[in-house]
Amino acid sequence: LPAGLSQWFPALEVLDVSGTGLTEMGAELLSLPCLHTLLAKNNRLGGPGSLPKGLGQAPLARSLRVLNLSGNRFADVPPMLLRLRGLRSLSLGGNRLHSIPPDIQELCSLEFLYLGGNFITSIPPELAKLPSLKYLVLCDNKIQSIPPQLAQLHSLRSLSLHNNLLTYLPREILNLVHLEELSLRGNPLVVRFVRDLTYNPPSLQELAGRTVKTRNVPYAPSDLPETLVRYLSLASNCPNPKCGGVYFDSCVRQIKFVDFCGKYRLPLMHYLCSPECSSPFSSASQSSTSQSESDSEDEASVAAHRMQKVLLG
Amino acid sequence: MEQPVQTETWKARSLEELVRILHQIFAEDKVSVEEVQALMESYETNPEEWLKYAKFDQYRYTRNLVDSGNGKFNLMILCWGEGHGSSIHDHTDSHCFMKILQGNLKETLFEWPEKKGNGEMTKKSERVLRENQCAYINDSIGLHRVENISHTETAVSLHLYSPPFDTCNTFDQRTGHKHKVTMTFYSQYGERTVC
Repeated sequence: LPAGLSQWFPALEVLDVSGTGLTEMGAELLSLPCLHTLLAKNNRLGGPGSLPKGLGQAPLARSLRVLNLSGNRFADVPPMLLRLRGLRSLSLGGNRLHSIPPDIQELCSLEFLYLGGNFITSIPPELAKLPSLKYLVLCDNKIQSIPPQLAQLHSLRSLSLHNNLLTYLPREILNLVHLEELSLRGNPLVVRFVRDLTYNPPSLQELAGRTVKTRNVPYAPSDLPETLVRYLSLASNCPNPKCGGVYFDSCVRQIKFVDFCGKYRLPLMHYLCSPECSSPFSSASQSSTSQSESDSEDEASVAAHRMQKVLLG
Repeated sequence: MEQPVQTETWKARSLEELVRILHQIFAEDKVSVEEVQALMESYETNPEEWLKYAKFDQYRYTRNLVDSGNGKFNLMILCWGEGHGSSIHDHTDSHCFMKILQGNLKETLFEWPEKKGNGEMTKKSERVLRENQCAYINDSIGLHRVENISHTETAVSLHLYSPPFDTCNTFDQRTGHKHKVTMTFYSQYGERTVC
């Protein structure tokens, strides 16, 4: 960036330096108090010095709303970038990212996050702590699973997951009330009912923990070692509405299909507290497919109200 | 459209002229696919002329009506953000011309699924269309998906459909199941349509 930029253009609001071969953006940025949009796509940014030191203290940290760094060479998200607390829109599409830092949650004003076309393999649950996120693009990556916590993104309107390595989705995805667009094509989603193959029997600790929780055995922090108090707080409720059970580490993973708006059948991963924990039909010699379909009726009607457009194929 | 008796070689020097010549061509009883495709390709994209129709949406691609062709055709501009794509769809027995005005679009052709199809749809071919190129498709050729695969650039395309249609079928690539959808316009003649 040319030295003296802030002297010539002190009121600069929008700066577009895309396609200029930039390898770093220096201190010249720090004294632009009015800058709200910075477009620097298709450059050679990604190495140290791509972003200026002291970014977190500059007026930019509060004033910058839009940052586009797509088509560069970032192999990780520079920690400096996470200090831009006023940022509403961030694009790092077409870079070389292998992961998303959990500290992404510091971008608390973020509404639009584009991370398509990288090498990302997993999504940190902290991403779900972005309360205003409306548009999340994760297409063309190497993602194998979606953390169920993503269902906490209650502002999410559009989720792009196409061309990844997903075989199923967490059933919590049904909780995304405002989700209108969901793209899932180009994923190896399982198409047939999958019976869980491995079930590790629960440990004694788990069995004891389950009993404490389901029988409401009273306990106080003074009664138990701290590690066990913490362990008990991690109990997950069995999602089977007919079961009041809890589980800790030992659970059955079962993929069930849910019809969305009567159009598409999505494989959703359910965690159940035991292989016996299913609908009342499980005791009979019901075929597994019909069982999954009957259980999915309730969820389907709920989903039909909530999800309007699912772009699957 | 039937095979023509004679075809003209048109050169549209502006978007306005393109529309004018299209009206002229479609006023005839017989219209040639080759003639229309050549005409569309002859127009060299000039953003100044179509910028007012190019309204982008953050979440998905938009359809912006440019001209309603006296009922004979619809001419519209589609705006594709980074990563935006369409479902696999048919063209309700109409002719579809697609010209790139900006950026690139990937077109993937699919075979029609079997009657009671319950398997993955068959991909026929794919190609990336560049600026000013014009593609053509109709239901007898097959189905297609169009997408902007760029993560850094937006794309704009000019579409002509004849006869006009507002419903089509979208297809699930994994099963071949189809679903009828109604298409709407994000804007018409440069004005945002409020739904």
